[in-house]
Amino acid sequence: MSNEAKAFIAPRASHVARHAADKSPSRVTRHALPYFPGCALKDQARGFERAAQAAMERLGYELAELPRWNCCGTVYSLSSDDLMRHVAPVRNFIRVQELGERRLVTLCAMCYNTLRRSARFVSTDPERLQRINAFMDEEPDYAGGVEVLHLLQLLRDEIGYEEIEARVERPLYGLKVAPYYGCMLLRPREVGIDDPDRPETMELLFEYLGAEAVDSPHKVECCGAYQTVANPEIARERVLEIVGAAARRGADLIVTSCPLCTYNLEHHQLSVPGDASHVTGDKSSTRHALPVTRHVIPILYFTQLLAFALGAPGEELGFEQAAVDPRPVLAQRVGG
Amino acid sequence: MAERIGGDALRVTRDVGIGATDYPSRVTRHTLRISSGEPDFVRRVEELSGEDVFACYQCGKCSAGCPFTSGMDLLPAEVLRLLQLGDERVLSSRSPWVCASCLACEVRCPKGVDIAKVMEALRLLILRKGETGLTWREIPPGVPQIALVGATRKLTP
Ligand code: SF4
Ligand code: SF4
Repeated sequence: MSNEAKAFIAPRASHVARHAADKSPSRVTRHALPYFPGCALKDQARGFERAAQAAMERLGYELAELPRWNCCGTVYSLSSDDLMRHVAPVRNFIRVQELGERRLVTLCAMCYNTLRRSARFVSTDPERLQRINAFMDEEPDYAGGVEVLHLLQLLRDEIGYEEIEARVERPLYGLKVAPYYGCMLLRPREVGIDDPDRPETMELLFEYLGAEAVDSPHKVECCGAYQTVANPEIARERVLEIVGAAARRGADLIVTSCPLCTYNLEHHQLSVPGDASHVTGDKSSTRHALPVTRHVIPILYFTQLLAFALGAPGEELGFEQAAVDPRPVLAQRVGG
Repeated sequence: MAERIGGDALRVTRDVGIGATDYPSRVTRHTLRISSGEPDFVRRVEELSGEDVFACYQCGKCSAGCPFTSGMDLLPAEVLRLLQLGDERVLSSRSPWVCASCLACEVRCPKGVDIAKVMEALRLLILRKGETGLTWREIPPGVPQIALVGATRKLTP
């Protein structure tokens, strides 16, 4: 590990060790994990990151921000001749390699998908990797082998839900939570964290936290993604369907792992006027020409719900940026 | 009820129980052409996508699960069918520009066709001529960068 990397991880890791020590003396862990935030977590989704750090500290882990990370590229190129699009992800993998680490943890579902697919793409063909390395002659060669993980995988497979349950300080009894996976956590199958049609990673997590998971048929359907800037009407249609389905099933909250899903769900649900006589969909579309009801459901990141249940104080939950304040419903169902 | 609306296109009118509704649909009656003489653009789509468009057997599963069909002029399965037929109308279809690369079709196709890659190849054929699929309108405040970068990468040259 380079000195830079050690200096980077050391001060906060000791803080974690201290925290873990006074939480549970038996636990001598001090896991510092290289972590890739991505742009949205430094801007519109700061609460996603803030709460993740709060939650992970309480679980004895440290999310150590990758030094000199760069944009993942946001969307994975689906074209066979677009090697250039893998340069950005590979640069990040080189940063991980320089730390002497093998794993990179992500929170944003889009970063996860783009990085994980790219890691697979370059590692399955040595010639591709060689061409990318040759192109980036200012960087050390990437040797392959970095594994990109989503935080949900780490919580489920490494820490374990029972361990998490044991550390819950504010059980979410009475709270109805609708997980919304969207696309990027689940598809394509090779990089999905769970079954693409019937995932239960988030459902189980929330149940271990004491909440009731609300199932919804649209939980794996696209929110409109970047079409929200090109074809906003279509994104709006998607969102009203997704939010409506969760609301009709009694959800108090919808939980995501993607800043773009969150933006779309928040923005488009609030675009419905207060009276229910409103009709959505463009005129040529018959499918959605039905009256829509205005539903206003808080949209949270899974890390916020986790940190809340683990007892993190208000300032560590990052609720300030939520378009619909989740605090009233949390207070009402769970109590402050 | 079905009526012909030009060429092989049919307009099918169905009663869906809440009043009769018009569903524009293009039902082609060609048989699958087995030849190596596809037009250039079909070969180009296959190269760019790495997919075999002739693998599709028109089950329609991709169209059934696509959440964006209300904005499409051709259903995903119809895009595949027109490619099989070498029908250039597919090049001016709106569907690839409405597709959000959500991969709902990709995980469900029983023939393993990655339709999202085919959609991307169709976009690239146009984008690489320098044309754009995105006219910027006013960007609402608070739109995350990932939406702007995503749209720019998928829909502009
Ligand atoms: S799901 Fe696959 S085989 Fe079926 S119509 Fe779509 S592309 Fe063709
Ligand atoms: S990837 Fe495109 S064509 Fe396939 S289901 Fe999603 S929007 Fe429809």
